[in-house]
Amino acid sequence: MEDFSKKLKDAERLAARSGVSRRDFMQLAMMTGLSVSAAGAMFSKAEAAETPKKGGTLRMGMEGGSATDSLDPRTYADSVMIAASLAVYDSMVEFDNAGNPTGALLESWEAKPGAVEWIFNVRQGIKFSNGKTLDADDILYSIGIHRGEDTKSPAKGILAQIADIKAITPSQISVTLSSGNADFPVILGDYHLVVVPNGFTDWENPVGTGAYKLASFEPGVRLVFENRGDYWMAGRANFDRVELLNIQDVAARTAALQSGQVDAVNRLDARTVDLMKGNNALSIVRTKGTGNRFCFVSRVTSPGFENKDLRLALKWGIDREKIIDSVYSGYAVPGNDHTLDAFNPYYNTDMPQRAYDPDKAAYHFKKSGLSGEITLSTSEGAWGSAVDCAQLYQESMSKAGITLNVKKESADGYWDNIWLKEPFCAVYWGRRLSADQTFTQVYGSGSDWNDSDWRVPAFDKLVEAARVELDETKRKEQYFECQEMIAEDGGMVCFAITDYLDGYSSKVMGVQPHARYDMNDNRIASKGWFA
Amino acid sequence: MLRLIMTRVFLGCVTLFAVTLLIFAATEILPGDVASAVLGQGATPETLAAFRIELGLDRPAYVRYLEWLTNALQGDLGIAMTNKREVLATITPRLYNTLFLAGYAAAIAVPIAIILGIIAAINEGKWIDRTANILTLGAISVPEFFIAYILILVFATNLGWFPSLSTVYGDMGFWQKIHVVALPALTLTMLVMAHMLRMTRASVLAIMSQPYIEMAFLKGLPRRRVILRHALPNAAAPIISVVALNLAYLIVGVVVIEVVFVYPGVGQYMVDGVSKRDLPVIQACALVFGGAFVLLNTIADILAILVNPRLRHPR
Amino acid sequence: MAIQNSLKNPPISAKIGMVILVVFIFFAIFAPLIAPYGEAESIGKTWASPSAEFLLGTDNIGRDMLSRIIFGARMTLGVATACTLLSFLIGITMGLLAAVAGKALDQILSRFVDLMLSIPILVFALMILSMFGSSLFTLIITIGILDSFRVFRLARSIAINIVVTEFVEVARLRGEGLWWIMVREVLPNALPPMIAEFGLRFCFNFLFVAGLSFLGLGIQPPFADWGGMVRENGRAIAFGIPAPLWPAIAIGLTTISVNMIVDWILSINARPSGASAEM
Repeated sequence: MEDFSKKLKDAERLAARSGVSRRDFMQLAMMTGLSVSAAGAMFSKAEAAETPKKGGTLRMGMEGGSATDSLDPRTYADSVMIAASLAVYDSMVEFDNAGNPTGALLESWEAKPGAVEWIFNVRQGIKFSNGKTLDADDILYSIGIHRGEDTKSPAKGILAQIADIKAITPSQISVTLSSGNADFPVILGDYHLVVVPNGFTDWENPVGTGAYKLASFEPGVRLVFENRGDYWMAGRANFDRVELLNIQDVAARTAALQSGQVDAVNRLDARTVDLMKGNNALSIVRTKGTGNRFCFVSRVTSPGFENKDLRLALKWGIDREKIIDSVYSGYAVPGNDHTLDAFNPYYNTDMPQRAYDPDKAAYHFKKSGLSGEITLSTSEGAWGSAVDCAQLYQESMSKAGITLNVKKESADGYWDNIWLKEPFCAVYWGRRLSADQTFTQVYGSGSDWNDSDWRVPAFDKLVEAARVELDETKRKEQYFECQEMIAEDGGMVCFAITDYLDGYSSKVMGVQPHARYDMNDNRIASKGWFA
Repeated sequence: MLRLIMTRVFLGCVTLFAVTLLIFAATEILPGDVASAVLGQGATPETLAAFRIELGLDRPAYVRYLEWLTNALQGDLGIAMTNKREVLATITPRLYNTLFLAGYAAAIAVPIAIILGIIAAINEGKWIDRTANILTLGAISVPEFFIAYILILVFATNLGWFPSLSTVYGDMGFWQKIHVVALPALTLTMLVMAHMLRMTRASVLAIMSQPYIEMAFLKGLPRRRVILRHALPNAAAPIISVVALNLAYLIVGVVVIEVVFVYPGVGQYMVDGVSKRDLPVIQACALVFGGAFVLLNTIADILAILVNPRLRHPR
Repeated sequence: MAIQNSLKNPPISAKIGMVILVVFIFFAIFAPLIAPYGEAESIGKTWASPSAEFLLGTDNIGRDMLSRIIFGARMTLGVATACTLLSFLIGITMGLLAAVAGKALDQILSRFVDLMLSIPILVFALMILSMFGSSLFTLIITIGILDSFRVFRLARSIAINIVVTEFVEVARLRGEGLWWIMVREVLPNALPPMIAEFGLRFCFNFLFVAGLSFLGLGIQPPFADWGGMVRENGRAIAFGIPAPLWPAIAIGLTTISVNMIVDWILSINARPSGASAEM
């Protein structure tokens, strides 16, 4: 006889974390004899925000740090520092779980028609950890360190569209862009843009508006945070203490979670995560289909790759399903050669998903008139499993009669020496929260990061028009066409979009998939609590 | 003897100086620099230029090296270019950790390896010789992370006797550290024992078949005396050499162990420094590693001379 | 009681060792004929358990483990042999030279080697990589040279002790040349520990090769090599999946076999009277 009452309790807990759908929950509930209305009420109650309990020390073990890490926002590049920054600082714009921008320190905003002029309202009554009250000058300074001639911040590029920015009042900022952009608030949510007091430079001793204060920092080893006690957002900042350990090795990270030495880990290994499913002391949070886009990109200006048929052969010759099955154990969705994922509202649902077709690949290769070997540069430095993916690609291409030579490059200096230089190489892209950002950064003629070197004026025009288009239907049409152009003509073979896999002790609550990054958008320290 | 030691110390310093020069040159030659490494995907020509000017990287190489050298000679190892932290303050606790782990492993491995090696040599061909050989050979056949994973699986995940993370902090007590660092120390012990054991065994065996050993036995000297007073001193040279090499390995070669057990040592610091081309960090680590080799080799050479008096006056 | 060993009567352990080595060499030569599947074919599920279809299970991207081990014998044994031979050639020559040719040369060579040993392997390998690119040839040269420094230290320390014996003094007084002394007086006496070292270094190199692969210097895909296979599958053992055990066992068996044979060769040195340590 099944223990339905226990299952129901587990289901209630899951519902609180949005881990089970209303329908599934109701089915289970009604099996225990509850009526439809009682089951529905139970679900709504469980789903409504559980009041977070305060207290406890959250121990996190994360990959993505180094002995050279710094708390200077202009240097953030990987998960450990991003998560650390969001414990002591706040950002201006946050994102909800579906990926829509919501107000954080910039409470609200409005755009004048044309989306060139914007007004942002600064949230009132917020204090930094040194007692200073937040005002517009702090916001201006925090953005300013990433702009300007001599900044070394990687965020300089995305902020280049700001023509003018100034404070109208201590609580209002006006921004004038160089051209219209309906998605501008998304830009201000970039992880580099955290808010510090006006004129602040003492990065080793951070002063922020965030939930915690920094107690100690050993780069590449550990960060310790203490609750500052008066965080402005209700329902957050629930732990007394947070310890963030840098655990680069996936087996060590998983063992630490399993043996209870840490309560939360990121980047579980897709190939072994199923082995942990049976363990009730753990909960695995899977963010489906919005993770990293793994691609092999060819530069369309390199000899051989200017030939469109060759590029098509490359796209038909990769066995996406096999790679997703073998390398990611199913924890990924196929990419369709443009880097948007299906959860983006403008994802082209009309285009069929390209699948492995060795005959088409062979046909296009023959039609291209080229012969000989194609060399693909890959490395563990691109992403951990890039070499595995390349080897499977080699296999599937050989079945189409094309010789793909896999060159394993040094992990050291991969992004300096191989990416943007070699004619055909591995690259991954993180999720951008607007189609505009994706198309501009990855495929725009003016972008330094256009790794396929595919610069088409007609495409740029489409993107510019869509940026200010307010008619949703028309905008969708424009973005649909963009995706068709990229998939048909571009140099990108985007074959998989992986899931994020976080592991938590089952005592940790407030863990939900987030459309942007893992670990609840790197904010688990701020958003989570112990049961 | 004193003159010899002084000469070796002087030469050691010259070597160290050459090490820093060579590492500096090597890092300069390598493609990429700290600006491109830190900015990574976010690098554009302007941000790269801004980064470099801020760090003074636009000055010629020899100027930067001389500046580093003059500071280093006064005890100032500079500031890391990536995160602006003082290198000396960062590397000191890490160096202490590295030495702690190396000492922990060596204290177990060296005596056991040498004693077992002698016993194996004496009992050549018997079961104790075979077993010691096969076990230690098995241990060195597998990579360090492999032994580490197995030990973690058995002793941390399943039995729970030791923690899988060996991160140590300044406020930990000595015995607490011994407990926390047990697994990496055990891993390292298994890795280095085979080499020292087999070299001891081979060396003693080679000596044992010499005529003067047979003579000693024929004279009726007790076995213990023959081995310790007559055989070992002559077998010592290669044993000392191998022990020195392995001690050096324990200090400079254990990055993988540091990564798997999350143990904050100098190895990881250097690897991260090289990856980001952070020169002050790399130079400081080179000094540490170079110093370890020079020191250990010098001690080994001096011990070899002590053990074999004829070496004091070569030729 | 000591076992009577001679060239004609190897002990059991050496016999077993020789059999195992011959089997692996056989694998290396006849791999395409004996392996059930191709070296790079991915036909199964990732990390599947051993079954009738895949006798040793599959690897991290679903390739047959048994076939990869058979094919892997080629690269593993071939590259390790080349590297170790090269490092010993350089290391012994330099080491003996340093011991025999006088104090000045000895100091120069020793301090030079100290300098080279102090350069972290990572930096050294990166430099070679940036200057010569990555290829099998570069890999062998890199490891051969890197290893030779350690072989030098050992060879020199042994040779120094031999050089101060009466035999060598007599030879010098006789007017024998440097080369003659090195090869005829010093080398034969230095051999036993060096042979032991060769046996060990040969097996260290399996793993050394694999260790450099993250730098792009290792063996290029799709070629199998045991060290690389242990690395690629290594983390599975932490989850109780036996996949990396098979290449590890292959390496282990080779290590034990080679060293058992080395032990036999060393024991041939035993005195004809049978007198040994046991007295």
